[in-house]
Amino acid sequence: MSKRSHRFDIVVGLAAFAAMAVAPAVTSNQALFDLVIRGSALALFATSLNLLIGYAGMVSFGHGMFFGLGAYGFGLIMQRTSMPIPLALLASLALAAAVAIVVGAICVRLKDIYFAFVTLAFQMLLYSLITSWVSFTGGDQGLRGGIPRPVFFGIDLAKYTHLYLFSSALLIIGLLAMRHIAESPFGYSLRVIRDNAVRASFLGINVWRMKLAVFVIAGTFAALGGAVMSLFVSGAYPEFANWPMSGEAVFMIMLGGLGVFLGPLVGTVLLLLLNDVITRFTEYYGLALGLVILLFTLGLRKGLLDFAVDLVRRRATAHGALPTEVAHE
Amino acid sequence: MDIDPLIGCLLSTACIVTHATSGLIIGLLLFLVAVGLTLIFGVLKIVNFAHGAFYMLGAYFALTIVQFTDSYLLAILGAAAGTAAVGLVFERLFISQVYGRNVLMQLLVCYAFVLIFDDLVRIIWGSEFRSMGMPELFQGPPFFVAGGVVPQFYLFLIVVTLAIAAALGLALARSWLGKTVRAAAINPGMVSALGINTELLYGLVFALGGLLAGLAGALAAPVRSLTPGMGFSVLIESFIVTVIGGMGSILGALVGAILIGLIRSFGSLGFPLFTDGLMYLFMIVILVVKPTGLFGKPVT
Amino acid sequence: MHRSPTFHLDRRSFLTTAAASVTGVIASPWIARAQAKVIKIGMPTILSGRVAQLGSSSRNGLMMEVEKINAAGGLAGRQIEMIIRDSKGQPQEAARIARELINGDGCEILLDAEASSGAFAVHEVARDLGFLCIHTNSETSSLSADPKLRLANAFRLCRQGIHDSIVGGSYAASIANAKGLMKWATTSPDYAYGRDTTQQFVTYLKHFKPDIEIVSDAWPKLFAPDYTEVITKIQQAKPQAMYSCLWGGDLTSYIDQGNIYALFSQLQFFAVNMADYTALTKVKNLPKGIYSGNRYIKTFPATPQNAAWGDEYRSKYGEYPTNWSWQNAAVMHFLAAAATKANSTEGAKLADALRGLTIESPFGANGTMTIRAEDHTLIDYAIGWGTTIPTEPYVPDVKTGDWKQIAELESEWKKQSGYA
Repeated sequence: MSKRSHRFDIVVGLAAFAAMAVAPAVTSNQALFDLVIRGSALALFATSLNLLIGYAGMVSFGHGMFFGLGAYGFGLIMQRTSMPIPLALLASLALAAAVAIVVGAICVRLKDIYFAFVTLAFQMLLYSLITSWVSFTGGDQGLRGGIPRPVFFGIDLAKYTHLYLFSSALLIIGLLAMRHIAESPFGYSLRVIRDNAVRASFLGINVWRMKLAVFVIAGTFAALGGAVMSLFVSGAYPEFANWPMSGEAVFMIMLGGLGVFLGPLVGTVLLLLLNDVITRFTEYYGLALGLVILLFTLGLRKGLLDFAVDLVRRRATAHGALPTEVAHE
Repeated sequence: MDIDPLIGCLLSTACIVTHATSGLIIGLLLFLVAVGLTLIFGVLKIVNFAHGAFYMLGAYFALTIVQFTDSYLLAILGAAAGTAAVGLVFERLFISQVYGRNVLMQLLVCYAFVLIFDDLVRIIWGSEFRSMGMPELFQGPPFFVAGGVVPQFYLFLIVVTLAIAAALGLALARSWLGKTVRAAAINPGMVSALGINTELLYGLVFALGGLLAGLAGALAAPVRSLTPGMGFSVLIESFIVTVIGGMGSILGALVGAILIGLIRSFGSLGFPLFTDGLMYLFMIVILVVKPTGLFGKPVT
Repeated sequence: MHRSPTFHLDRRSFLTTAAASVTGVIASPWIARAQAKVIKIGMPTILSGRVAQLGSSSRNGLMMEVEKINAAGGLAGRQIEMIIRDSKGQPQEAARIARELINGDGCEILLDAEASSGAFAVHEVARDLGFLCIHTNSETSSLSADPKLRLANAFRLCRQGIHDSIVGGSYAASIANAKGLMKWATTSPDYAYGRDTTQQFVTYLKHFKPDIEIVSDAWPKLFAPDYTEVITKIQQAKPQAMYSCLWGGDLTSYIDQGNIYALFSQLQFFAVNMADYTALTKVKNLPKGIYSGNRYIKTFPATPQNAAWGDEYRSKYGEYPTNWSWQNAAVMHFLAAAATKANSTEGAKLADALRGLTIESPFGANGTMTIRAEDHTLIDYAIGWGTTIPTEPYVPDVKTGDWKQIAELESEWKKQSGYA
């Protein structure tokens, strides 16, 4: 990745953070800030899954296990120890990474639908563990009593604006880090593996090790999202590690587009807006969401950003500015 | 964990027979529900995530038919026909557009169908749970077979399930339609070049899968409470059974289902709070050791 | 195959809708504050999925009373506007909706009609934001018993597991004495309500009759379709009586499956949640002689006020009231009484008025119900057990629970659990 585009990303990230930081001075609409905090958690989760699906071609059905691990790990550490928040965050990420190494070592050599099923099986196993180990995790009720938020570096997460800024910062940092990884030579190798694993190994790429590495990286960032979510709800629930959670991440990626890095972020915002708006007007959320999904999968046939990028590209080639590219499905 | 009761049971023949019988019953019911899923995957290479929705539709169709005609037989036949029709329409309009595409597209189209139909059922039949009741024919006391307890209704279900398994197996292996379907699964181009309408074939296979799921729903309805969203619980178990048995293998689904039934039956003795976890562990072991399942074709 | 899309219109209208909704979200607080003649009350609940009946019957019970209160002038002169949202049974959605109702929609009070796990989530939001929060459906005792969860602005105005278990244990012990039922089993759903309630019942059964023995227990998953292995396990142990807190669709399908195993001819069945009209009217072959606690029964308490309320609900909504219906109706009665007493709708003043408040109620054990000041929870509601029959009046004879005994044993339980 060129130094110039890397710097460009950082500038964009800083500008975005500045815009989000200014918002509390302009409006006092709590619902908007709630949206940003939840969106940060879920966008980190969805973007991390896209590292697997969009960049490495590894379709995982069980990615929610890391989101859940992040939420429970962070929540349990804060409730049971007196670690400061930054340390607890790093510890919960380390925990998720450790689990990812073990699970990944078993899973990544499987192909296609079998990889998807075994990741789903691991996720459901974790979910069973969480709901049956009542004394440790609170079982199906989740972690109760709230998560303590001791002040650190002058940041008091019990104050709403601080929580909002902290989540936004974590979102920007996480996205920048994943962007850097995706655009690095490592990321390029992943795409070679995605397109043709056999050719990749002939080129000297250690496919298994690369896949394991991206699996661990994706799991770690998903856990970061989980920790942010646990701060938002001040607890952790088994639903965070249940398979509909993985399904939601898949929706967010498909809604926004898996060909563009920011696709999952757009998809997250879309799904959250849809959720909030639809539940205000009708009880039949499922019907509405189902129709939207059909519109995207059979109508647009790609995520929103993918669609937008393709439109721009087609206009550019129509005007002869760019050579025609082979569309990637 | 209650290892003592489990070991105690394994040392008593009567206990083994009772629990093995119940495991067999659970397994055969599971097979009935799962066989449609494995058939669709075997032939069309589509993972039908909407499988549970067909099961639900079958149950609700049966409920309504019984309400109007008081005939359980009519209910079963009507539900099967109804879900077959829905399956055909669903395949022609929606599934046909995602053949060969990313499995995520298939997942999303099927999941959209589930969401829409769960709400449609809620709108038509209401959100309260419904109950069908046991047909008079089966209301007698259970049979005692060599120490195991077999309710009359479950005997009926077992017979029907085994008949379906046999019929499907024979049809796929021997009949002209079955052979064509299997050929189309391996080489659709060639089959189509021979002048056979593969699109119609695919539609029929999917309709059959839907029919089987709906039939399972109708057959189970007398002992279930019907609610919108009742398809989810059977969906996960159907996946476990087909993955363990081998996607596409009917014998595999049968064996896998019985194994799961036995795990649940004996597992509820030794691990009453972790029986689900045992199933997932078993699924992981199979996927790691032989990803294509016990009776699936080996990975090329 | 590739279609070239001409979706400009769809895309534009979609983006317009998105922009409009975001604008709406940003603008709403200003609109809300302009309407002081109206008091907005929010209600997170479950309106879809398996437990949709919880939300729909809560809403029905509530709205029937809201209409009456509004017709009589409202709460301290302000007309009530209810905003009811569906959390789909997910606790994090419940938390989000609770926040949105307060922050985005300008609600001043929250009536939390969530089930237990959602209630804990909303409770944390109440702790954060400080609004008056009344839990109307959560029966988990720790919600009010645990001092770590106690808030000045939160109340639980519905029945509690521990009360039901004390009354149930006492009743079951008397039947066990009369019929010589020494060997017991339990079959309850494997989640917090199921485990806690069953454990409490067993504790009190043993308290009143120490020589009983639990010979087997089974824990099916909530909403499990197939009970074959749990029925088999219980039958193997040959108990004389069995307790279950299965409810709703689970209870009816369990009974259907138990019937074909002739389970109920082999033991006496104590199902605390049987005497609920939905369950009673749905099961086609209800075994005779199931013992049950009361959820909502028109004939218990056997007063004209209770019967009148039940009839009114039935004629308005075309279905029988549920336990959730009466609880939410009672909450509105309390709220109206508190608003009159405090002559205000301000959260803190209402909370003060609610603490220790006694009102007349058709659902009271002796015509009244009270909010216990020390832990903000409901007491003196009609509670009892009886035998069910498959036709009206469904529970002809109810043995009422003794509230003095309940209070004594409850405070012992709190000490033992480390709550006091």
